[in-house]
Amino acid sequence: MRDVVLDMKGISIQFPGVKALDNVDFSLKRGEVHALLGENGAGKSTLIKCLTGVHHMDSGTITLDGEEIKPSSPQAAIGMGISTVFQEVNLCPNLTVAENIFIGRQPMKHRQINWKAINQRSAELMEHMGTSIDVTKPLSYYSIAIQQMVSIARAVDIQAKVLILDEPTSSLDEHEVRRLFKVVRDLKARGLGIIFITHFLDQVFEISDQITVLRNGKLVGKYDAAQITKLELVTYMIGKDMNQIFNLKRAEQKPGAPVKLEAEHIGIPGKVEDISLAVKQGELMGFAGLLGSGRTETAEMLFGVTRPLHGTIKMDGKALSLKTPLNAINQKMAFCPEDRKRDGVIGDLSVRENICLAVQAKRGFLKPMPPREQQELADKYIRLLSIATPDAEKKVGELSGGNQQKVIVARWMATNPDVLILDEPTRGIDVGAKAEIQRLMLEMCENGMAVIFISSELDEIIRCSNRIIVMRDGAKAAELDGENCRQSDILAIIANESSEVSA
Amino acid sequence: MKRKFDWDSVVRSKIFWAVVAEVVILLVSEILKPDFFRIEYKPETGMLYGVLIDILNRSAEITIIAMGMTLVIALGGTDLSVGALVAVSGAMALKFLRWDVTQYPTPGDYTIMPFYLVILAPLAVCTLMGAFNGLLIAKLGMQPIIATLILMVAGRGIAQITTNGKQFTTMYTPFQVIGQGHLLALPMPIIITAVVVLCVALFTRKTSFGMFVESVGVNPSASRVSGLQSDKIILIAFMITGFLSGISGLIYSSRISSCDSNNAGINNEMNAILAVVIGGTSMSGGKFSLAGTVIGSLIIQTIVTLVYFFGVVSEAIMAFEAMIIAVVIVLQSEPVRKAFASRRRRGAAATGGAVRA
Repeated sequence: MRDVVLDMKGISIQFPGVKALDNVDFSLKRGEVHALLGENGAGKSTLIKCLTGVHHMDSGTITLDGEEIKPSSPQAAIGMGISTVFQEVNLCPNLTVAENIFIGRQPMKHRQINWKAINQRSAELMEHMGTSIDVTKPLSYYSIAIQQMVSIARAVDIQAKVLILDEPTSSLDEHEVRRLFKVVRDLKARGLGIIFITHFLDQVFEISDQITVLRNGKLVGKYDAAQITKLELVTYMIGKDMNQIFNLKRAEQKPGAPVKLEAEHIGIPGKVEDISLAVKQGELMGFAGLLGSGRTETAEMLFGVTRPLHGTIKMDGKALSLKTPLNAINQKMAFCPEDRKRDGVIGDLSVRENICLAVQAKRGFLKPMPPREQQELADKYIRLLSIATPDAEKKVGELSGGNQQKVIVARWMATNPDVLILDEPTRGIDVGAKAEIQRLMLEMCENGMAVIFISSELDEIIRCSNRIIVMRDGAKAAELDGENCRQSDILAIIANESSEVSA
Repeated sequence: MKRKFDWDSVVRSKIFWAVVAEVVILLVSEILKPDFFRIEYKPETGMLYGVLIDILNRSAEITIIAMGMTLVIALGGTDLSVGALVAVSGAMALKFLRWDVTQYPTPGDYTIMPFYLVILAPLAVCTLMGAFNGLLIAKLGMQPIIATLILMVAGRGIAQITTNGKQFTTMYTPFQVIGQGHLLALPMPIIITAVVVLCVALFTRKTSFGMFVESVGVNPSASRVSGLQSDKIILIAFMITGFLSGISGLIYSSRISSCDSNNAGINNEMNAILAVVIGGTSMSGGKFSLAGTVIGSLIIQTIVTLVYFFGVVSEAIMAFEAMIIAVVIVLQSEPVRKAFASRRRRGAAATGGAVRA
């Protein structure tokens, strides 16, 4: 038996109003990848925050390498050998990649920072992860995927015994996930204990040895990854039968439905070129493609976040001039953005205010919604999307990531749009919530809304879409019929440089 | 929207500690000087007198400016030009009252321009100057501290030019009422302040302006995607601040019956920022509290009054003020508030356990 590097016993923590963790045990062996699973708010993040000294537990013990520890701060935890890569990239975008990797522990030479060593070592680290990039460029120069790699490089380079990966793959595409897993296997072979938190069950089975499931702050059980099926696992996670979720059916396409939103040859040279598309009423159009293939950029042009330099956008056959998102909102469009932290949540405002924000923006500040109406609207969506919050006045920033996402979806559903653009609405949220959002999306289609659905997960694109646009390298590579489309078709188009654009 | 009363979050809030600080300072004053709380009504003047009234009266200028400053700071900015706008406002008012001192050499109970212009022109000019600040920030994307630095420096110059570098004095009664008159037995500045605070509170909380300000202050990018026009909101906030600085300038110049381009509104920007911060609004933007700002302004004025009242040697006044303010700010700091809150919680948990056992 391999020895246990980390042992957490009887961990309990109380937040105002909720018992966030209730007597949870967790143990991790050397050279093991241990998945920590559970729905949003199940207590995964809280457990990790106990371990990394962000939260202080009310009772329980943590033993690292046979010694009892009490991490008092993230800094202290790192000193003990517990490194974390958080769900959201937590680096300084204005510093260079190399500076980000070495910030706080810069190698010195003659009492001065040894820049040469920093840059050289960083380049090596990134290379080791299979990403050869210029480490002297500012971090913000690179995509979120690369930024994620940088934060892993940083965490790994700190001499760690335990590495926590909190949703490391949620912003990565297939390719990058492969690369990351290669790195993870490497680290595992070096004897690191790795805690892996994710919502992607396939990845859990691919990389994990052990699985611990939490639900509502309680331990459900610890399972051997080789001896449990996906369905069992999901059932443990949500505590109810999952079959209903996998039975979602795409919305029936009504024949002769009019075209709602149309784009003709829109583009920004250098970023996205010449995109044309037409979404019909009651149609769900899927957008597939790798990260950075121009999916988000296209969505942002359609919503007036960025202005296309050429081409026209038409609604109901009339050309629109979208200078700001407000113009698009006034045309009954809605856009749930990809980068939740940057473009979505207003952390300090309450759930109610966040939900009402877009509706209120449309009305203008001089016509405030009466408080009762705001309350009703918030309550309605908290119920509809089962947002886990004690009440509508809680700060959104204090909710778990998945619930924040639901609040943003609620914000846009509340505007009662004709066209809804969802950019990765299901990223980083649990199976139950994911199914919930997909169900709502399909329901809205049934009711005549035109939906554009961007996702990196091909199976959900295929399950829900009437038509699928595949993006590659900032251009539209193909448009497929959702009905008869297989995952392998899309993958072939994404990979195959020479495929023809079909009608 | 009722929430159940949560003592813990009250103890954690900054405004709670601001109130505590103000009460403590007042109590200390009362102990040291038993007449501190006394308020007298003098029938012959029809006014209330007392130190407390005096504190309210003297804090008027800062409170009024700080109302606007609260909005600007909630947006994540700051406005350094307010003090200079106070000087501009006073200079313009006096210019309109006297027009040209060589032509009308003796100050008296007269005005050259119609009185409504004496009031409206300075307010309009200050609002425009606020708009200038707002445009630099919203449209050109300048840092607020730099953008408002322009008028902070230029404003006093403009004030000087307005009066040809001279100090004008006036005896015009309607004008003197603003700073020296009284209504409902209270000094006029208190009444004006109350009206301003009420108006700003209604404007921010009865419309959605307050929420929009907070939203842009917390996350400008997300606010834009959600359809907020942040440039418009920034512009309006700076215009309000300019306008309120104008009112403050009128009160000040009316108090001293003259204009003083060099000293009017001096340090007002710092005191207003301080009032806002003591009131619990974070300099990094976000949630704001107008009530907190009023308390903050009162704390500053109470300290100033206290210092004069007890005859601290004049050289030591500033240091003494700074010391008290430092204590207040430390009391409000995150670790201290957290420590108090968690001690309470631990106490509560212990008693809860005992009851159950």
